[in-house]
Amino acid sequence: MEYLIHICVLICIYVILAISLDLITGYTGMLSIAHAAFYGVGAYIAAIMSLNLHSPFIVNIGCAATLSGLLGLLVGIPSLRIRDDYFVVATFAFQVIILSILNNWMSLTGGSMGLSGIPQPQILGFRISSHLHFLVLACLFCILILWISLRIAHSPFGRVLKAIREDEIFAQAAGKNVAAFKILVFVIGAGMASIAGVIYAYYIGFIDPTSFSVMESIFIISIVIIGGAGSLWGSVVAATVLVVLPELLRFIGLPGAMAANIRQIIYGSLLVAFMLWRPRGFLGNYGFHR
Amino acid sequence: MDILSGPLHGPIGPGRNDRVGRVRLVWQLVVNGIITGSMCALVGIGFGLIYSVGRFFHFAHGMVFTLGAYFVYLFSSLFSLSIQFSIILAIIFAPFVGCLIEIVVYRPLRGKGAGSLVILIASLGIYVVLQNTISIVFGDSTKSIRAGAVHEGIVFCGAHITTPQMAMVLICVLSVAMLTGILHKTRIGHLMRAAGSDPGLAAALGIDINRVILYAIVIASLLGSAAGILTAVDVDITPSMGLQPLMLGVIAAIVGGIGSIPGIGLGGMLLGIAYHLGVWKISSQWQDAIAFTILLVFLLIRPRGFLGRRINGAIL
Repeated sequence: MEYLIHICVLICIYVILAISLDLITGYTGMLSIAHAAFYGVGAYIAAIMSLNLHSPFIVNIGCAATLSGLLGLLVGIPSLRIRDDYFVVATFAFQVIILSILNNWMSLTGGSMGLSGIPQPQILGFRISSHLHFLVLACLFCILILWISLRIAHSPFGRVLKAIREDEIFAQAAGKNVAAFKILVFVIGAGMASIAGVIYAYYIGFIDPTSFSVMESIFIISIVIIGGAGSLWGSVVAATVLVVLPELLRFIGLPGAMAANIRQIIYGSLLVAFMLWRPRGFLGNYGFHR
Repeated sequence: MDILSGPLHGPIGPGRNDRVGRVRLVWQLVVNGIITGSMCALVGIGFGLIYSVGRFFHFAHGMVFTLGAYFVYLFSSLFSLSIQFSIILAIIFAPFVGCLIEIVVYRPLRGKGAGSLVILIASLGIYVVLQNTISIVFGDSTKSIRAGAVHEGIVFCGAHITTPQMAMVLICVLSVAMLTGILHKTRIGHLMRAAGSDPGLAAALGIDINRVILYAIVIASLLGSAAGILTAVDVDITPSMGLQPLMLGVIAAIVGGIGSIPGIGLGGMLLGIAYHLGVWKISSQWQDAIAFTILLVFLLIRPRGFLGRRINGAIL
């Protein structure tokens, strides 16, 4: 039972990550390999604040979202000058630089040792202690973020994002401030991803840089692409499938080390297969055409 | 982290404040920088050549580097062939994998009119699959090909350099010169430049674009696997050893100008030297951050690099 709840919490975390990346990549058409960095920044800010300042959960999650949003603003800036392949490389650069900071700023982040002993959060006097409590918390945030994202996607704002994806110059000609929209969607996506990080940090109680590596970024991209770029429900479905699928491998009795590799082989080959035969994913409407 | 620099070989001097010691240290760092620079230039030239001809980012190129190393390990340690023969076999097999990727994945994608982002995503997927396949087949642990202990290498103008490292620098310089010659003087070179500058027109003139891109992949994979093999002979090998040279190669290609072979060579050298001189003033852990900051600065200020021309024109 504990195990099932654990899987469900992970699904909620990855749904949040995939939805927030879908706004950036699926709706606006900017492929970003920096998403695990925002996720990590959220986790680290929550951990550092709760360990050093003993600040409450609500304050931490607010701070994490704000700071990560500011970082998103920084990562979004290159999108004004470069696009497509080159923009992917730029986000990759941010991912490496941020991971390098998490790895090397020993006094603040604990380096490769990570941070441990993150206390259980307390919300309005109620202590989140069991796995089940965490599941409720993660679900609430997941639903909240899904709701906000759906509202964004179906608003005039969301339509401008799609217009930028389909034809940036046309959107500009229609009088839309493309630069502001691009940066804003990055800020929103980064803020949402950091919330997933905060939940992860409190839930596991221990964080280290390996959880927020380039491979993690590629995993989040896989969820978005397999579910379908530009489809939030697709991200929800794909996050569930891609988190559950490797867990099934445990029942076949594969050794632990190999299971991690097979998990990555599965999503790597799914990525190639979808690009070959269905670039728009399960439910998406955008196949990275240009 | 950085496999080629390693700890400084030999005594550097009584202390860092000692002037002679300091000059020797800087000189050794510059030499290390040139060695790392040659490695990333070799990978970057292949990456840039493929982009110039086919207009797509071939991230799985990093795996050709790793595969070159692992083929040498496979033949020399597991099949107990001689090291020279293993290297020859590896330099045949590793580019073969590069061609396989092109024929099985990239060519069908181009046939469907897929954009560059689709190919980029597919190449990321291939990278992930290949690296994990190597992990499963050979294990995650560090393997070693060279016999005996790490040797100091010979002293060259007061800096230590091993034979494979010297070969790396030589091969890099030679391949920059030869590739520039091939691109401008031979028929294959003309075909590649034609395909790169206007694929539609080239196809209309009867040039088989797919075959020309395959030539580019073969040349790129030869250079990439050569760099991987030399690294494998010099130091140890791990399944993730290709990521670092790939990242540095991409940076070298973008900083130098992705369409210019001499530019990429120069970019690699400057990047390598900056990468190692950073150790002198800042700690070595920040090497990657320094390299990627340089990349970001170039992407924002001069995305075509210092010797490149138009970014989408892909002029060689």
